[in-house]
Amino acid sequence: MTTIAEKPQLISSRKDAQFEVTLYKNVGVEGAHTLETYLEGGGYKAAKKALTTMTPEAVVDEVKRSGLRGRGGAGFPTGLKWSFMPKPDGRQRFIVCNADESEPGSFKDRYLMEDDPHQLLEGMVIAGYAIGATKGVLYVRGEYYKSYERLREALAEATAGGYLGKGLFGSEFDFEIILHRGAGAYICGEETSLMNSFEGLRANPRLKPPFPAQAGVYGLPTTINNVESFASAVHIIAKGADWYASMGTDDSKGTKLYQVSGPAAKPGVYELPMGATFRELIFELAGGPTEPIKALIPGGSSTPMLAFNDETLDTPMDYGSIAKKGSMLGTGGVILIPQEKCIVNATWNLVRFYAHESCGKCTPCREGISGWMTKMYQKLVSGRGEAGDVELIEIMSRNIKGKAFCPLADACLGPVQSSLALFRDEYEHLAEHGTPKYTKTNWWSA
Amino acid sequence: MKVKVNDVELDLEPGTSAIDAVFAAGYDVPYFCSQEYMSPIGACRMCLGKVGAPRKDRETNDWIRDAETGEPQIFYFPNLMATCTTAIMDGMVIDTLSKEVRQAQSGMMEFHLINHPLDCPVCDKGGACELQDRAYEYGAGTSRFEFDKRHQEKHHALSELITLDRERCIHCKRCVRYFEEVPGDEVLDFIERGGHTYIGTVDEGLPSYFTGNITDICPVGALLDATSRFRGRNWEYDHTRTVSLDDASGAAIMVDARTGRIERVKGARNTQVNLDWIDDSTRFGHEYVDAPDRLKTPLIRKGALLEPASWEEAAQFIASRLAVAGKRVGVAVRSDATLEEGVAAKALAEHLRGHAEHFPRPAASVIAENPATFTDVATSDAIFVVGDPTEEVPTLDLRIKDALRGVAPPELLAHGVPIADLRLKERMPRKRSILTVAAPYRTNLMRHAGQELIYPAGQEEDLFGGVGSGKAGASLAAEQLNQLKSALSDAKKPVIILGAFVLASAAATRAAEALAESVGAKVMKLGPMANSYGLEALEVTSDGGYADLLTQSDVLILSNLNPAQDVQIGERLRNLDLLIVHDSFETETTGLAHVVLPAKTGYEKEGTVVNLEGRFLNVYPAPVDSGTSEDFIGVVRTLGEALGVRLDGRSVRSARRSLAKTLNHDLAALPEEGLLAPVDAKEIGETVADTVAGNLLLTSSLLKVDRLRRNPKLRAAHGDVALRVNPADAEAQNLEAGANVTVNIGGVARSATIKITEDAPEGLMLLPATFDQALGLTSAEIVPAADLVSA
Ligand SMILES: Cc1cc2nc3c(=O)[nH]c(=O)nc-3n(C[C@H](O)[C@H](O)[C@H](O)COP(=O)(O)O)c2cc1C
Ligand code: SF4
Ligand code: FES
Repeated sequence: MTTIAEKPQLISSRKDAQFEVTLYKNVGVEGAHTLETYLEGGGYKAAKKALTTMTPEAVVDEVKRSGLRGRGGAGFPTGLKWSFMPKPDGRQRFIVCNADESEPGSFKDRYLMEDDPHQLLEGMVIAGYAIGATKGVLYVRGEYYKSYERLREALAEATAGGYLGKGLFGSEFDFEIILHRGAGAYICGEETSLMNSFEGLRANPRLKPPFPAQAGVYGLPTTINNVESFASAVHIIAKGADWYASMGTDDSKGTKLYQVSGPAAKPGVYELPMGATFRELIFELAGGPTEPIKALIPGGSSTPMLAFNDETLDTPMDYGSIAKKGSMLGTGGVILIPQEKCIVNATWNLVRFYAHESCGKCTPCREGISGWMTKMYQKLVSGRGEAGDVELIEIMSRNIKGKAFCPLADACLGPVQSSLALFRDEYEHLAEHGTPKYTKTNWWSA
Repeated sequence: MKVKVNDVELDLEPGTSAIDAVFAAGYDVPYFCSQEYMSPIGACRMCLGKVGAPRKDRETNDWIRDAETGEPQIFYFPNLMATCTTAIMDGMVIDTLSKEVRQAQSGMMEFHLINHPLDCPVCDKGGACELQDRAYEYGAGTSRFEFDKRHQEKHHALSELITLDRERCIHCKRCVRYFEEVPGDEVLDFIERGGHTYIGTVDEGLPSYFTGNITDICPVGALLDATSRFRGRNWEYDHTRTVSLDDASGAAIMVDARTGRIERVKGARNTQVNLDWIDDSTRFGHEYVDAPDRLKTPLIRKGALLEPASWEEAAQFIASRLAVAGKRVGVAVRSDATLEEGVAAKALAEHLRGHAEHFPRPAASVIAENPATFTDVATSDAIFVVGDPTEEVPTLDLRIKDALRGVAPPELLAHGVPIADLRLKERMPRKRSILTVAAPYRTNLMRHAGQELIYPAGQEEDLFGGVGSGKAGASLAAEQLNQLKSALSDAKKPVIILGAFVLASAAATRAAEALAESVGAKVMKLGPMANSYGLEALEVTSDGGYADLLTQSDVLILSNLNPAQDVQIGERLRNLDLLIVHDSFETETTGLAHVVLPAKTGYEKEGTVVNLEGRFLNVYPAPVDSGTSEDFIGVVRTLGEALGVRLDGRSVRSARRSLAKTLNHDLAALPEEGLLAPVDAKEIGETVADTVAGNLLLTSSLLKVDRLRRNPKLRAAHGDVALRVNPADAEAQNLEAGANVTVNIGGVARSATIKITEDAPEGLMLLPATFDQALGLTSAEIVPAADLVSA
């Protein structure tokens, strides 16, 4: 459903003079992915600062104080996560970068890796130092081939330049990064599946506890973060926690990469301070919708959709405010759903995605989402719906909700349950008449 | 920890799972993916419960209390929890009865059934199916799923022995986990994902000796014993819980028979012995019982022919011949005879003033001085194996692997073995370093060992001497042996396991016992057969041994033994005054006998055996139609009647009366786990000059070669008897893989198929022994099998 723009609209900074683009500073800049350019812009200074002037505890503290929350979707405080690592006991420890970005609506990590790979590497060096991990694992989504290539080049450059390897910046700290490509499964973005996949096992999520800090990659202490989380850490160390915490809202600090897809004038990735409103993102930066919109998905396809109205548009895009509306900030991937799009069909598109990506480990997801739910939507969209079908989807959703092994099944229910709540009439219409309330299909012709 | 399940309060150990708390409280929740002795994974989502616990105030460290009642306030988890993967907490409250929980369970049941074919009327599992039972108990009775079900392969032969119906699979992952966690043979996995997920293998077949257990634990009819498929419904079978007489482990089995025929054997639970697991030979090796050439009536020699007769006629015939025969009488029973049969054999020998013996019997005593139990092995922190447990006592192979997981066997709860033992995890790291395996060739178990020592066959005494003294020995470096010794000395619970090659030499056994004493290790001796221990303890033994009995007797009464397999011995047996052979099939020896008496197999007897731990276990007869076959008790009863005496051992009861006096145990109706009562160690045995040269090693084999011909399914799965030859030797001797050869060992001619493998060391071929061949080093000559088919 998401329109894939040829080239993303690169962020135009906010009009607010105080705000400067940090994470995406190099994105879209010709040649910015090279070590040379990165160094020119002050690259690896943060890592040097951390390794030569700060203790690991001080780095963790700094990140804690900054208020950074994980950008992979769940928003877990990053510094706190780092502090969960057990005391060093001689065992190998790992820092893992989750670069499997596969949630429909999310495409922020991709350009970070393509255009500014060194920023990510630097973030991993800092995090590795903070948690005492001498090995990093960079698990990059299989389809992101350009990211992979750029990362591979960057790793070679960084190693040759002495930014990875032994005794970094004259310190005692050694650090190397293992680059690993996924093979095309959304579930590999779930942290424990990612670890299984990295180890060469079937990508099923693992039981938690034990959490990765206790038993992660190869059963060893591990911390895993999202690409954007690492990139943010670079700037927190470079400019200090206070600077970072000065941006954003009470529960959400710093800047965030928001993404807009769907019928907007300028879909793309935009960096804004946390707490900016949907209105600012959609209308001021993305140029506003190109046609009437009825709903938006606020943070990647798994987050429940919200009605497209003033109340929603004026909601600050931070963790707490969106949660209050019954949805989630997620990855900040905003998807606009046109008024003319049949909501059942739009939801079916997402259900199909989750059904295809279900790992098959647990019953509600394998049989419920991947099996039955899929068939119910197929039935509806093919015009064979009957009375009772909509209710059955509702009941089935209740029987799945909160009962699956991992959040993937509930992720599918995000769009299902929210679309039912907001647009039940469209479902009923389709079930009753066999034809959608909105019949437009020629989305791709101009 | 205090836990409350619905209205029942109980006190359980920390670490217990919530599902076990529920069962311990006497309540039930449905479950499919959890399985005793395996890791809980939380995949089926059936065991949902509403779970809550009180919380402590961070500051005061006291419970947060309800303002009105003053009781600690219960904070419920926002979602229902899979109780199998939830550990109990102090004060936890678990609800399994509320409408919310029941609704969730019935909803999950519905999901389980949408793609299940519901072909119960033609399913072998019907009537004994967890899915069926749970659907009745927790399902809504109807389905709202109105689409085509998923269609997949319904008769996929995973191997010759196991058929997979992919439509019936509910993806509980028990079978996949089983292979990784129990035998450690990762041969099965999920393929594809989501709704397309199915179970499969990458290669052909299931290369493991322990595959059949997956048919026991499959909660539906997806994995089925191919040998018993469509042979009967569960309610038609007579289920007999007994003990396997295939090896010295005493593993518990369930024999399912119908209309006088054994249709299948399943594993049964003995928490002290085999847990729930049995090897494939124990499971699938029963077909011979029903072989068409089974002897079902006595036979009496009339000239060149053996003619059918009644037991009375046979007994009369024997009595009349005994009166005129020479006075030197030998009675020998095979070492899987029960204690009661042993009493009968002794009583008969005594009455006839002869000697009783059991065979096979190694040179050294099978009773250890400081004996180890299976539990000792499973909880050991240093195991030194000399031999090949996988082939000798397969149960032990699995119990050694328990030790490698480093998780002690679980404590039993009110409902028995915990359903979800939270200490167990998928893909646990194994503590390989605690296991050292030594053998004259590469054994299966070595794949799991931290150290493998391959020594020249016949040098077991040197090996133990070397470990004990820290000097080089048996061609192994001093350093290696030294390390092993310190590992054993430093361990808290070291165990030394002595296989057949050690017991074949009294000197080696003595050296082993000396080492064990010096490092404080317990010892487990792998006797050759199911009751080797018991028959030795009962002293069904004679001074000259079996060899003397065969050469020094005028009258021989043999039970299940076939010495004439060796033509040279056969020649001597022709001169006997009287040869009575009690066996289930015609053999070379019955061909020479004056009287042949049909014998019951191990599935048809009642009695007692003592396993290698010194554990007394009752054996029960399954209702099998075996004509007028009798066990040795029956032989002695009818003979006694003909001779006009009432001999001890004329019935199980009379034998047990006698056993109560000699062994001081009442053996009637022992508990399921048996009676662990090791007897005092015996004299180790006389040191005779050991054979130290030879080109062939006769080994134990879990596939009993004597029966393989009559166990066609097992044979199809594992191939014919193999002569294993090192590639270099094969080349030097011009032997081709797959070629059929005859192996001449003394007077015994054995046919075998050449298998070329690095497992065999250079200069040593490996051949599994028959019941009547002594294990160990010997000399053999290989000749191509005569091509009988060519015109
Ligand atoms: C089904 C599923 C898919 C996920 N996919 C991703 C992903 O593609 N990228 C990512 O960073 N986190 C993903 N996550 C979240 C991770 O499990 C994890 O929370 C995150 O990587 C932690 O990093 P953070 O603390 O920096 O956010 C996913 C989670 C689930 C349940
Ligand atoms: S919800 Fe269950 S089947 Fe779905 S991805 Fe998670 S574990 Fe796998
Ligand atoms: S989830 Fe299967 S038994 Fe608990």
